[in-house]
Amino acid sequence: MSASLWVDLHGAATHFPLALTICSLLCDVGGLLVGNREAARNLHGAGYWTIMLAAGGSAFAVASGLVMTRGEMLGAGSLRQHHVFVWPACTLLTGLATWRFLVGEIAPGPARVLYPLFAALAAALMIGAGYWGGEMMTAA
Amino acid sequence: MNARPFPPLRAVAVAALVAGLAFGLACIAAAGLRAGTAAASHQLPPNAPAPAVSAAELAAQVDRGRALFTSSCSHCHGLDARGDEGPDLHGVQVSDRYIARVVRQGIRGEMPAFAKKHDAKDIAALIAFVRSLH
Repeated sequence: MSASLWVDLHGAATHFPLALTICSLLCDVGGLLVGNREAARNLHGAGYWTIMLAAGGSAFAVASGLVMTRGEMLGAGSLRQHHVFVWPACTLLTGLATWRFLVGEIAPGPARVLYPLFAALAAALMIGAGYWGGEMMTAA
Repeated sequence: MNARPFPPLRAVAVAALVAGLAFGLACIAAAGLRAGTAAASHQLPPNAPAPAVSAAELAAQVDRGRALFTSSCSHCHGLDARGDEGPDLHGVQVSDRYIARVVRQGIRGEMPAFAKKHDAKDIAALIAFVRSLH
């Protein structure tokens, strides 16, 4: 595969986990706020599946990025800033998806409130990674 | 889904372990890719034997390479070649042939091609400058 194909694949792949994490967060927050129990369960269900897809998408985004940069974990300049956000974001996202897989669609007890806070942190880190990724594209 | 009774705190421990393993796997994959790239660049056929260059000629070539670097490369690699948008060029682990190819052809989406701007003599000077970096 040519290097340019990996650049295109990485660019396409990175948007899915970012959008899905934000979508998952909104669904879970909506599930907390909505009064109707059936609607809340549906929203948490959507939050569950979207975080699973986000974690899967992030694995592909990371893999394509590593191939594209030939194994660069940090780099310099904008690439370094991008990676400073990428690694915590993907590690946290993997942890959140694993935790959610284990406990189920509806988080029990106080975790129902704590979980969206960590999901918001993961989304914020991914937005930071996306910003610096975009900076690299405009600088090229 | 909630039929699976998994204690939330134990789930946190398992999730942290899985996340750590995923990050470790990424580190191992990155190290493998870097090693493969370095090996591939050194497996390229060797350049034609370089003519013997005196110390004075080499110093002049390095000076010329520094001037070319400042005008063409420092914008991305930094004035001191310590990296900015582009990577740090100190102690690069690739062959001269690989450096020449990257300068000529660029890297799509990362680095422009300089084939039209710099001829083989310029590129040789740039390589001499990069090799002089410590």
